[in-house]
Amino acid sequence: MIANAPPDPNDVLDAGDQSCGDLVLALKRAVEQLRGGEILKLLTRDPGARADVPAWCQITGHRLLWGDGSTFFIQRKEIQRKET
Amino acid sequence: MPGRFCVSITHAKDNTDKATVAFLVANAAVGSDKETVVFLSIEGVWLAVDGYADDINEPGLAPLKQLIGDFTANGGKIWLCTPCVKKRNLEDAKLVPGAEIVGGATAIEFLSGGTTTLSY
Repeated sequence: MIANAPPDPNDVLDAGDQSCGDLVLALKRAVEQLRGGEILKLLTRDPGARADVPAWCQITGHRLLWGDGSTFFIQRKEIQRKET
Repeated sequence: MPGRFCVSITHAKDNTDKATVAFLVANAAVGSDKETVVFLSIEGVWLAVDGYADDINEPGLAPLKQLIGDFTANGGKIWLCTPCVKKRNLEDAKLVPGAEIVGGATAIEFLSGGTTTLSY
């Protein structure tokens, strides 16, 4: 959570009442549509999201730029390219 | 933060709440980039029989058929305990895509090394 307003998102996911695994899979799908460095705005009514979204970012390595429990801004991590 | 995660389920229509919540948690794990296995034993093996879960709809939760499909579509594996399958004469049953009958050695190999497991 940071005080500064986040930059404009590249995409928005309204996850509604989805929670737990449903929310995580919806979030995963949405973030995977982005390029590295792009930002997703997540809207959620899940009371568990306040804890789950930061935890998911911690696990996956995506960056949580801002969140207040119902709105989150998540920046996709840079995509690692395999060297040939 | 890669790693392995296992969800052990021993219930089916004898406790649809547990069966459904277990797959919700499994989806949280597979959606968090964990190599995830749902290990079905005892009555739980029924959940992998094609069509069995189609009418399991816990109030307030997603339909179990959808949760199972989401799990395997995102790379999750479903393993069925061999003796539990045999006891219920399910050796020839059609299983949902991604499900596999395995012996104890496969499960133990996956769990060895400290794989976190949640049991339902």
